[in-house]
Amino acid sequence: MAEDISNNFSNTKTSQKTGSNDFVRKLFKILEAGEYTNIICWTENGDSFVVLDTNEFTTKILPRHFKHSNFASFVRQLNKYDFHKVKRTSEEKQNSQYGEHSWEFKHPFFRIHDEQALDSIKRKTAVQKKIVLDENTVLVKQSADGSAIEPDSATSLILNNTVSKSKFTQLKRKVETLEQELQQIKNENYNMKLGYQKMQSKYNTVLESFLTSKALNDSLVNNFNILSTSLSQQGLELPQGLNFNLASSTNAQSPRKTQSPEFSSVVPTQITLQKPNSNVDSGPSSTASNDIIEPPVLRPGFHVLLVEDDAVCIQLCSKFLMKYGCSVEVVTDGLSAISTLEKFRYDLVLMDIVMPNLDGATATSIVRSFDNQTPIIAMTGNIEDQDLVTYLQHGMNDILAKPFTKDDLHSMLIRYLRNRIPLSEQRSNTASKDDQTPLAEENGSASLISEEPPLKKQLI
Amino acid sequence: MPTSVPIPTDVINWEILSEIVSMDEDNPDFSKELIIQYIDQAETTFAHIEAELDGSCDLTQLASLGHFLRGSSAALGLQRIAWACERIQNYGRKREGVVSGQEDDAHFAGLIRQTLEQARLEFAAVRRELSKFYHTQL
Repeated sequence: MAEDISNNFSNTKTSQKTGSNDFVRKLFKILEAGEYTNIICWTENGDSFVVLDTNEFTTKILPRHFKHSNFASFVRQLNKYDFHKVKRTSEEKQNSQYGEHSWEFKHPFFRIHDEQALDSIKRKTAVQKKIVLDENTVLVKQSADGSAIEPDSATSLILNNTVSKSKFTQLKRKVETLEQELQQIKNENYNMKLGYQKMQSKYNTVLESFLTSKALNDSLVNNFNILSTSLSQQGLELPQGLNFNLASSTNAQSPRKTQSPEFSSVVPTQITLQKPNSNVDSGPSSTASNDIIEPPVLRPGFHVLLVEDDAVCIQLCSKFLMKYGCSVEVVTDGLSAISTLEKFRYDLVLMDIVMPNLDGATATSIVRSFDNQTPIIAMTGNIEDQDLVTYLQHGMNDILAKPFTKDDLHSMLIRYLRNRIPLSEQRSNTASKDDQTPLAEENGSASLISEEPPLKKQLI
Repeated sequence: MPTSVPIPTDVINWEILSEIVSMDEDNPDFSKELIIQYIDQAETTFAHIEAELDGSCDLTQLASLGHFLRGSSAALGLQRIAWACERIQNYGRKREGVVSGQEDDAHFAGLIRQTLEQARLEFAAVRRELSKFYHTQL
């Protein structure tokens, strides 16, 4: 029987007119003959065929009917006639009625019992890109097998393309990643530049406003001096030290112009009442003219923190303070002063300078980082200029030279507490609003300004 | 060049002490108790200074002790003791007692020791005067 077919084939071979697709017709005959149905057969629909066992196909059919020495070569030939392998998922492969390792091929004109249609199947003339794209898997498989490949220029071209393409993709991805990173860094750099410029402009603004207020102060002082000179020339008697007073009050006030709106809106009553009166001996401005006549009033109930390490001074000072209606709390070193001021608020702080643990000036500078309001008065026997400057630069408001009399202390209390309402009374009226909010708001915005008022005063 | 600051004439500045004494009106023994406290403090401080001079002779520490007693002395109007304490403080800081600029620590320690003796004399004078004033042996 095998011989018959073989003869039959040879007959066909000789009788066929279209020699262009011998390969396809040979394959058609084998399928139509159905001799090797356990190796190769039509599918049920008849529009494709299946190689059920590639090994058997390679050993039994290829040597006898084709010139191809291996299955891969046969497949490549099929591809050249535009046959396509029917792709299946691994699941479909497992469930395939033709077995897991079967290969199904299809061509639109290669159908069961349809010899006529074979005329339409032609060998492709040129290598088309389409092949590369569609048959990548097959081609890669071939090269991976390490099996002999026809020294076909088209094939090598295809393979070369595939390899370089994957390398290209790899490189492309790398470049893309690098580009992304570069962009990221550019963005970061840009943001940093932006931040720096913002800081710079803020700094310039602050500096400018300081300079402006300084210029304003200078002109105010000048104008006032001219005014007071002309007034005294007209026979008006001016209180002593008036020039100094105005200068100190304007200077003390001016930094507030640069402060944040919240700051000035929350604290104004306290500041304006306390600062312009920084010299007790007289009423500095025209609005305060009454004060020259009326004795300054110090309300009872002020809460004073006394920071002092000397027992005798503590006794004496707290005695004086109580005499003026103040309640006194005593701590004996700088560290305790800080921790106490963190927890409680006082109307005034009297601070010794030389103390164990932490000196009063340093303690004050730390307190100023969270409390810009509470007046802190240095009590010291060191009244050398350089020391005084240091104290003021640390954020202390004033200096009470030791030894001081009851009157000296009273003057200081008047200077900072006159016409003010003790915190204890404010607290009962306005709950905690006055105690808490200003502190919180100042922390961020006004820390820069904290040292300004004393500095300005010191310049006079 | 010991110092250019002259020592006050009076042992006690009564302008200051009177004010403190006047506080006795609402607290009878206030000023006397304060003085007693001061006397105790002064004796302790003198002893500390002497111990420091005999011991490690740390000038900074001596200056600090001088400063400490100076404060309370001045607060009570005991101006000659305060003056002596200020000298001790300044010698300790080498701000006074400098002649050539080549002096070693011993030079300043010597000055402090001299001044300590003077301070003790002033202290004795204060005790006499205040004992008379309070009609008590202080």
